[in-house]
Amino acid sequence: MEPQMKRWKGSAYDTDSWVAYPVLSDEQSQDIELTDAFAAPILNKRETSRLVRELNSAYPLNGLQHIKRVRACREKGGSYPLEVLVCLRSDALHIQAVSIECLLPPGMGSDGLGEPFIVKVPARPPLTRPQFEQASKHWPTSFHEDKRVTVALRGELFTPPQKATMHTYMMSAVAAAQAAKKMGLEAVGAVVVNPSTERIIAVGHDCRANHPLHHAVMVCIDLVAQSQGGGCYSLDKYPACRFMSPTFDTLDSTLDVDLKSQPYICTGYDLYVTREPCVMCAMALVHSRIGRVFYGTTAADGALGTKFKVHSQKDLNHHFEVYRGVLSKQCESLHE
Amino acid sequence: METDKGSGAASVESFHPSAEDIEKWMTSAFDMARDALESGEVPVGCLMIYKDEIVGKGRNEVNETKNATRHAEMVALDQLLDWCRRSCLDPSSVCEQTALYVTVEPCVMCAAALRLLHIPVVVYGCRNERFGGCGSVLDVSSADLPQTGTTFKCVSGHRAEEAVEMLKTFYKQENPNAPKPKTRRD
Ligand SMILES: [Zn+2]
Ligand SMILES: [Zn+2]
Repeated sequence: MEPQMKRWKGSAYDTDSWVAYPVLSDEQSQDIELTDAFAAPILNKRETSRLVRELNSAYPLNGLQHIKRVRACREKGGSYPLEVLVCLRSDALHIQAVSIECLLPPGMGSDGLGEPFIVKVPARPPLTRPQFEQASKHWPTSFHEDKRVTVALRGELFTPPQKATMHTYMMSAVAAAQAAKKMGLEAVGAVVVNPSTERIIAVGHDCRANHPLHHAVMVCIDLVAQSQGGGCYSLDKYPACRFMSPTFDTLDSTLDVDLKSQPYICTGYDLYVTREPCVMCAMALVHSRIGRVFYGTTAADGALGTKFKVHSQKDLNHHFEVYRGVLSKQCESLHE
Repeated sequence: METDKGSGAASVESFHPSAEDIEKWMTSAFDMARDALESGEVPVGCLMIYKDEIVGKGRNEVNETKNATRHAEMVALDQLLDWCRRSCLDPSSVCEQTALYVTVEPCVMCAAALRLLHIPVVVYGCRNERFGGCGSVLDVSSADLPQTGTTFKCVSGHRAEEAVEMLKTFYKQENPNAPKPKTRRD
């Protein structure tokens, strides 16, 4: 364990002081998109199933299977308890005067429906609980919940023992950042961990005073390569940048020979870094096939949430999970 | 393809390679790429040119270093920095007047590295649909990233079909590693 740990107030495992939140893709984190539709009150409740059947064939909600056709009327004491979605506004653009007779196709009797009105409905299925809650305010929507995402968004994905482990890894990254700061370098530190063996593989810090591209993440990636007999950075003057030679128990029995012959050296590994990586470092992690990334504090040009979300970029061939906020206070205070 | 005549001893503002420069240095870059292909390596040729001199020349070194970030551009940038050290020249003033000639669009990582070093111009052959950082996947070259160096100008499409052909040939031989090519003419 790093001696620096004791300097922090309270216990070294004061895991209540921080929460790890997932950095989700834009699709998952943006506000839901709405589209206009016509709804009408159902005058006689007993005709509901006929009306739904006829409307489904006249105006199928193609691509909008997440929208429920009927909703219970909102205002209590309203004259009619149920309302039905007639069609999307885009289905009825040619219609001049909006009345129920005009909206319905020839052949479908308008009896049973009241005067139409405009509502907003979600244009896409909600992907997260916050999106679902937002969507449901407008119109009843179905939701296939990813429970793991819901729990993660509450900041409750990791158990206290898991958080204690994450805490020690990030403390090593913080210690490396402090070592860098002492040498007049930028106070950014990073640690690569094999989560299946719970062993630290490399610890690095920012070395850009020596080389403008040797950011902490790039240094760590080269140190992982060095631990496997490769690598090409000379980091001798930075004792806090180091790698652990694999012993036989950490020699990746989890990876098959095929993978090992490829330079995807970070496959299955986690990175802990005190500050959100820049776009160069984020893409370097894609090339290295990192498993997960945890960072403490955001950066103005950060590429794992702030400016780009390289980890969830659809066109790229490797994606990974990202969590922010691990030891956020300690990581922020590195830059004070 | 967009070219600019008569740059020569240009200021930083108007620093831009001439059509003759492009022809000459892309020929060298393609020669490198062909050599690489013939020895079974990723067919990407890459040169850093400062005042009509090669100051960096990279080839992909991912396999031998086991470091997945050792793309030709990163290797060439390291050579450029070494060259500055040996020549006792200030890297930032050299970089400001250095152009990169490369047969394939630099990836997102390399494009960011070029920004961080303030390289003003990149001349490339074909697009890199898989990883491209000059518009194909992300446009790092012109994005608003005030903490990530300076934007750079791209001159694309030079002998693009040929660059694509080389990559395709390489694909057939093996590997999920190579950039996925597509011609770009703009
Ligand atoms: Zn970086
Ligand atoms: Zn690259």
